[in-house]
Amino acid sequence: MAESGRLEKLPAELRYIQYEHGLESQYLPAIRALISKDLSEPYSIYVYRYFLYQWGHLCFMALDPTDSSLVGVIICKLETHASHSPMTLRGYIAMLAVSSAYRGHGVATALVKRAIDAMALRDADEIVLETEESNIPAMRLYERLGFLRSKKLHRYYLNGSSAYRLVLQLKPPEIERVVEPALGEAEVSEVVVAAS
Amino acid sequence: MIPDRNPAPEEFEGLSLSDQPPPPAEQYGLYGGEPVPPPPPISSDGVVALDVMGRFRKAAKTLEPGELIKDGYFSLMDSVASIEIMDPKMDSGCLGPGETLEEGYDVTRPLRAEQVIGIIDQLLCHEMAWHLGYPLSQTLFTNVYIEGILMPMPNTIEQADFVRDQPGHDPMLAVLRAYCLGLLKACYHVNERIKGEHYYEEEDFVTNTYHRSLLDRIDEAAIRQVITNARTSLRSGICTDTLLADALDSRLRLREEFLNAIQLSEDRNNSADSIKAPWIELEQILETINRSHALGTSVPEAFSTKIQRKLASTMPPRPIVQLRFEDTYGHFKHMFADGREVTDVLAYTDSESLLNFVLHFQAKRPQPLVYIRTLLQSYLFKDMIILGRLSIRHIMDDDLSTLVLPASPLLDPTNDAFESAPHSPQFQLANRMELFRQRAAQSYLDVFRAICQNRCRIRRTLCHSIQDWENVQLDAEEVDQVLALETNEAAMSWPRPTSPPSHSLSLSSWAYLYKLKLMQWIVQLGFELDIYAPDELAGMYWYLSLLTRTRSQHVQRIQAFAEKNVREVLRTRKLSEEEEMQFDRAANYWRGSLLDAAVTCQLADALSSIYIVLGRLGLVTPPPRPYSTDEMRYNVRMKPFGVIGLPELPTYETFKEAALQPKLSVAQLLDAATSALEGAKRGFKAMERFDEDESFARGVTYERFKADLAGSHKSAIAAGLTIMMLRKALGEKVSRNTETGEGGGKELGLKVEIKAPSQRYHECWVVPGLVKVPSKDSGASTGN
Repeated sequence: MAESGRLEKLPAELRYIQYEHGLESQYLPAIRALISKDLSEPYSIYVYRYFLYQWGHLCFMALDPTDSSLVGVIICKLETHASHSPMTLRGYIAMLAVSSAYRGHGVATALVKRAIDAMALRDADEIVLETEESNIPAMRLYERLGFLRSKKLHRYYLNGSSAYRLVLQLKPPEIERVVEPALGEAEVSEVVVAAS
Repeated sequence: MIPDRNPAPEEFEGLSLSDQPPPPAEQYGLYGGEPVPPPPPISSDGVVALDVMGRFRKAAKTLEPGELIKDGYFSLMDSVASIEIMDPKMDSGCLGPGETLEEGYDVTRPLRAEQVIGIIDQLLCHEMAWHLGYPLSQTLFTNVYIEGILMPMPNTIEQADFVRDQPGHDPMLAVLRAYCLGLLKACYHVNERIKGEHYYEEEDFVTNTYHRSLLDRIDEAAIRQVITNARTSLRSGICTDTLLADALDSRLRLREEFLNAIQLSEDRNNSADSIKAPWIELEQILETINRSHALGTSVPEAFSTKIQRKLASTMPPRPIVQLRFEDTYGHFKHMFADGREVTDVLAYTDSESLLNFVLHFQAKRPQPLVYIRTLLQSYLFKDMIILGRLSIRHIMDDDLSTLVLPASPLLDPTNDAFESAPHSPQFQLANRMELFRQRAAQSYLDVFRAICQNRCRIRRTLCHSIQDWENVQLDAEEVDQVLALETNEAAMSWPRPTSPPSHSLSLSSWAYLYKLKLMQWIVQLGFELDIYAPDELAGMYWYLSLLTRTRSQHVQRIQAFAEKNVREVLRTRKLSEEEEMQFDRAANYWRGSLLDAAVTCQLADALSSIYIVLGRLGLVTPPPRPYSTDEMRYNVRMKPFGVIGLPELPTYETFKEAALQPKLSVAQLLDAATSALEGAKRGFKAMERFDEDESFARGVTYERFKADLAGSHKSAIAAGLTIMMLRKALGEKVSRNTETGEGGGKELGLKVEIKAPSQRYHECWVVPGLVKVPSKDSGASTGN
């Protein structure tokens, strides 16, 4: 994250708008450029369209009001998660980027909040994402909002670094319990004090 | 961020979107020297060809740019795997203006000895990068000499050369070739070993060889002969500088010994000393190589990413992985030492010592490389013969007798002899026990297999294993009840004389004990992997303490019933020598297990109390979390345990009460923590006196057991220092009438420091440190 060239103060109140397909020619090149900056290898245009075409309503952009240029973007999806029983409607934050000059002013947080609100409105049970283990600012951002690290993923990225899966539960999960085994009948007694 | 991997499914690798006839395959080098397969017949009576391009173009015109046409099976991973043709960052076949596909490096040019050393040392770096998990395409396959040997694919040892069809060889090039052949053959064995065991593709290792053969068809003896010849030629004076000649020779010896190490480790019935010998040799050769590294001159032009274009892959061009030689040396040093040590697993004494070997070996830092971890798996499980000589039954019975059934008629091997009398009670017992073993064997072996994975995977795998063990426990309970009837087992009231009488339920007790251990490991791995936020630590240590308390109580129950059952045997006869031994071993196990549960419980209790105090004082503060509630997060955190019936997950209310202790004052909490620490420290001291039998840790594992214990003991001492600092600061700054100490931390001028796992005395014990700061910016900070 480049510290230099950072704006002391935001020029004016940024505009936050929801993405829609009609904005593709105007904003997709800027979105790709902004997100590719932090990637060792660019995603193909299909990756962007995969998200934007299907879940444009879960994608938000922060725009500089003076020239409507792109300052930040968040890209998400929302699907039923099949490998779970019971089935859950799982939101997923795929990409989040803010132009380096505009960092440190809560733009990313504002974008994430809009995405969470939009997914909650559509009945999401939970929202998940992955972030590189060394990306402390990103983890802090999500954890401040209520996300919890649920697992660590070994060598998740091409550069060999590991990631954390972060989860935000929006609705209480349904838990099916199995029958109680017979060993459960005894009461818990005191722990044996260490003999010396 | 979504993963930036490009998982090209194998089945798509041959697909071509072009409507031009494909160029001859040898141009791509895909098929090497093999005959090119004929193209599939386009026209036959059953096929009616139809040009759809016109229709396709017409239909495509009706689409808006960016409109996505896909079926329901087109997944995120498919979209991530797609590339844009002619984008130089994605399309590895895309040539820049004036760029050529061919490398332009002349592999026949003569090399000086210094250059050969330089190239070999760079190959060592790439070999290690591959071991660490980077693909061949970004490591060894970027080397022009390797490419020259592998393409076109050689069928004979003579063809396995980057200089082909030329009589005679530059002797220095022959040395380099010999090194490369030994290297590639070793890579072949390593790749096969890893593929044969449980590992995670891409995460642990990339086995893809991009349709290149790692000399699997070339006779190993012939390769060894090439190396021998090269070593002979070095001695016969092709290199007059003896330092350089020695440096080259040690590199060739490394290849020889590595092949020896691989070969010997394939047969577990070789003596442990003979399996170890090449690893010891490798450790020494590595030192020689390290000392002579400076003699080499690097030849960077012998490595190129352009070779990636010839590999059978849809991968975008990726940079050459640059691992520094010093780091490479460090990794090889660990690898050879681990290769030597892992041999010790073959020296079996009992199942619990075996488990401890695997646990401690896998907890080494850095964790052994995936090759060594799969080697360990092959030592353990190959051909379903444990350690090459024991049946699964043997170690399961050892385990059952150590944990729950010492000197029990249920495990008496003579029961099997009643096969000819199918109605005899002994045969019935043998039969039921065998059915139970068959039911539980997989779950039991999976514990070992799980611990052989990377640390993140161990935790994730165990989260599923505990559900499996719950089912084993329930099935075992049915067997237990039948066995109690058939053996006329007397019921006993426990833990109190007034408790309802119960049978020993030994088999389900065994399963429950594993479930409890696994649950404990899951929580502890959470600390090790830095899963928990600072404000979760009070609650998680409380839960760890609850689990160990439950385990302690369960082991006490096991012990009480096992002792009762032995007393019953003693009423009719004396114990045999073997039975005596079994009972002593079990007694050692219970004592060690109870002590281990007690110290873990007490240290966890102490840390829980300390974190509650830090929370009260505002030194560890939860983030605002506007989208979450404490209860929701409790559900997320405890999800793996929520599905478990026994031990039942505490309700959120119980957890909240325990993680906040609202009825206790700061002073009371600190007193409780102090006394728990005293107990823990007494326990550590007692365990430090354990011998190999008592600790079920032998040889090198015993040293690790001691080191692990020392780390925990130091953590307890460090926790004591934190309490002292808190007491001192509270005594100085907070007026005595603020009984709860609520929010008083700001005035204490203290700041909490939570260390990264590698900086802790023990990774599972997150002992908060306190540092003095100007009172303005106190608060929690994490050290990573």
